[in-house]
Amino acid sequence: MIRSTLIKELRELLRDGRVRISFFIVLLLIAVATWISKTQYTITNQQYQQADNEERAVWENQGEKNPHSAAHYGTYAFKPKYPLSLVDQGVDKFTGTSIFLEAHKRNEAQFSQAADQTGLARFGDLTPDFVLLFIIPLLIVFLGYNAFTKEREMGTLVLLKSQGTPIWKLILGKWLALFLPVFTIVFLLFIVAGIVLSNLENFGVFNWQSLGMLFLIYMGYYFIFINLVLFISLKMKKSGIALVVALATWILACLAVPKAASNIAESKHPYPTRQEFASNILQDQKEGLDGHDPWNKQAKLLEQKVLKEYKVDSLEQLPFNFDAYRMQKGEEHTAEIYLKHYKHLKTQFEEQSKLYRGLAVLSPFLPARFMSMAIANTDYATHWHFADAAENYRVELQASLNGNFAENSAYGEWSYRANADTWKNMPQFGYDPPELGETLTTNTSNLVILSVWVLGTFLLLFFTTKKL
Amino acid sequence: MITTDNLTKSYGDTLVLDRLNLNIKAGELYCLLGANGAGKTTTINLLLGFIKPTSGNAFINGLAVSEDPKKTKKHLAYIPENLMLYPSLSAVENLDYFSGIGGTHLSKSQLEAFLDEAGLQKVAFHQRISTFSKGMRQKVGIALALAKNANVLLLDEPTSGLDPKASNEFGLLLQKLRNKGVATLMATHDLFRAKEIATHIGIMKSGQLRQEFLATDISLSDLEHAYLKTMDYKELAL
Repeated sequence: MIRSTLIKELRELLRDGRVRISFFIVLLLIAVATWISKTQYTITNQQYQQADNEERAVWENQGEKNPHSAAHYGTYAFKPKYPLSLVDQGVDKFTGTSIFLEAHKRNEAQFSQAADQTGLARFGDLTPDFVLLFIIPLLIVFLGYNAFTKEREMGTLVLLKSQGTPIWKLILGKWLALFLPVFTIVFLLFIVAGIVLSNLENFGVFNWQSLGMLFLIYMGYYFIFINLVLFISLKMKKSGIALVVALATWILACLAVPKAASNIAESKHPYPTRQEFASNILQDQKEGLDGHDPWNKQAKLLEQKVLKEYKVDSLEQLPFNFDAYRMQKGEEHTAEIYLKHYKHLKTQFEEQSKLYRGLAVLSPFLPARFMSMAIANTDYATHWHFADAAENYRVELQASLNGNFAENSAYGEWSYRANADTWKNMPQFGYDPPELGETLTTNTSNLVILSVWVLGTFLLLFFTTKKL
Repeated sequence: MITTDNLTKSYGDTLVLDRLNLNIKAGELYCLLGANGAGKTTTINLLLGFIKPTSGNAFINGLAVSEDPKKTKKHLAYIPENLMLYPSLSAVENLDYFSGIGGTHLSKSQLEAFLDEAGLQKVAFHQRISTFSKGMRQKVGIALALAKNANVLLLDEPTSGLDPKASNEFGLLLQKLRNKGVATLMATHDLFRAKEIATHIGIMKSGQLRQEFLATDISLSDLEHAYLKTMDYKELAL
C-alpha cells in the first residue's frame, strides 16, 4: 500500500504543472547557486594562496633589521576558505579574511567580502545554503499543503477509508512522496559539491564525512518541515487554509523567529561598541607596563625587580638587552589585556548562543543553521578559533623577536640588526579548523534540539493519524 | 452477507436510525428508499464503520463491523453518490491504486479486463479521469468491486444525476454482480430503478424501516403508492 500510494502521489505531482515549474525553479536556483559558490570559492582560495605566499616572501626578505622593527613591520594571518563553505558560506562574508599581526596590538580581522560590496548586498546572495534553508522548506510547503485536504475536497478520502487500509500506511506513502523529490534535489547538490570539492587541488582538506554529516542535518531539517506540513494538511479542512497556515509556519520558522532571536540576543547580551572596546583596552594599557616607555611607573618597578634578581647595579651589567626584555614584558601585559577583553566578548557571544538555543524551541531553523555553519567551518565559533590561533601566533612571534633582540644585543644597542636569514627561520602561520568530532561535541545542544524537533513532529503526525 | 441487528444511531437526543434489522443474502439486491434524512446514508456509514452505532450491531460476512472494521472492508466495495477519483490519473491508474491499497495487485491486462467487464469503453482506459462523466466514473467503481472480488456492495444513491442510458447501463451491471452472488445494499430515491433491479425493497422514514417488499410481489405503481403513503405525501392525480 505504501508503494502504491508513493507511486500514485508521484504521478500526481509530476502531472501537476505547478509542481513541475516549482521543481524546475528550485533545481535551477540550486545549479546557479552552486556554480556561483564554486566560482567564488575557487577565486577566494587562489587569492588566499597568492596572498599567503607573497606575504611570506615579503616577511622572509626583510634583510638585516632590528627584530623590533620587524615586529612593527608585522605580517598577516590569512583565513583559509574551507571546502564546505561551498555549501554554506555562513558568516564568512562578514568576519574578515585576514588579521594584521604586529607588535603591541591585537587587530581585528579585516577585508570582509561584505565591506567590498555595495548597498545592494543587503538583498542577500544566492547561495546553496539559502536554497537549502529557505527555498526547499518552501518547496515542501507547496508540494505538501494539500496532501490530505485535496483528498477531502475531491471526496477520495471516503473511498480510501472504505478500502480498509491502515491510515498510517497512507500517510507514510504520502510522506515518502514528499520526501523523495526533496531528497533527490539535495542529494544531487551534495554529490555535485562532493565531486567538485574532491577534484580541486591544493584547496583545503575536504572530507566526505563532514559533507555526509551536513547532508544528514539537512535531512533532519526537512523531516521536520514534511511532518509539519502533513500535520497541517491533516488538520485543515480546506486546501486554501492549509496553504496559508503552512506558509505562516514557514515565515515564522525561517524568517520571523531567527530575526527576533537576533534582536533579543543583541538587546539582552549586547557587545560593547567598537569605541568602548578600544577605549577600555587603552585604559587598561595606560595603567600597566608600556614596553616602549622606560620612564613609565611599571617599567621602573620592573627595572628594580630585575636588577635585584640579577644582583647588579645597572642595566648595562645585565646579560641581556633590558630594552628588549621590557618590551617583551610589555607585550605579555598587552596580550593579557586583550585576552581579558576578548574573553568578555566571547562570554557575550556564549550568552547570545544560549539564548538562540532557547529560542530554537520555536524554530528548527536555528539549530539547523548553527549546525550547518559549524560543520562547514563558517560559523562565529570557527572565526573565534581562527582569531585566537592568530593571536597565539602573534604572541609567540613577538616573544621570539624580542628574545632575539634581548639575547643578541646589549642595553641601549638599538642599532642591532638581526641576520637576514632570521625571518626565514621563524615559523609560518598555519591554521587548522576544529575537526568534525570536536564540532559535533561543541554543538551537542543544537544536535539534541534538532533531534527533539524531528522526534516531536513525528509523534505529532503519529497521534494525528490515529484520529483521522 | 449484510446483517444489521437492532442497529441504532443517535446524535445527542436526535435519533437518526432506530433499531434497523436487515438480512441481505448472497445474490440479493436490497434497495432502501426514503426521503433525505430518512437514515439511508447513516446505515451505509455504519456498515462501512465510518461511524459507531449507539446500540445494536452491523455484520458483513458474519463479522461485526465495530469489532473488526478493517477485515470487514476486505471484501466490501462502496460506491458513493459522487464517486470521486484522482483526476490526473487514468482509469487504469485509479483502479490500480485503489485495488493496490486494498491489497489486490493486478497486472495491466487484468485491470483492463475489469474495466472492460464494468462496461467502460476501451478508448477511455488510459484517459485521465478529469475527462470522465459521472456514469464513466461509476463504471470504474464497479470495476473496483470486480477487482476486489467483493461479495458485498454498498451503494449510496449511485444513479442520481445519471442520464437514463447511463442509469440503465448501471442497473444492468448491478444485475450482473447480483448473478455473481454479490449481496448489494443500495440507497436510492429512484423508485423505477429500484423496481427494475432489486430483489428486495425497503422504505425508510425518520430512521425507521417502515415497509419491506419482495420486488417481484409489487408493481411499480403500488410501490409508488406505498412510498408516498409512508412519506405522508398526497398523490397528485393526472
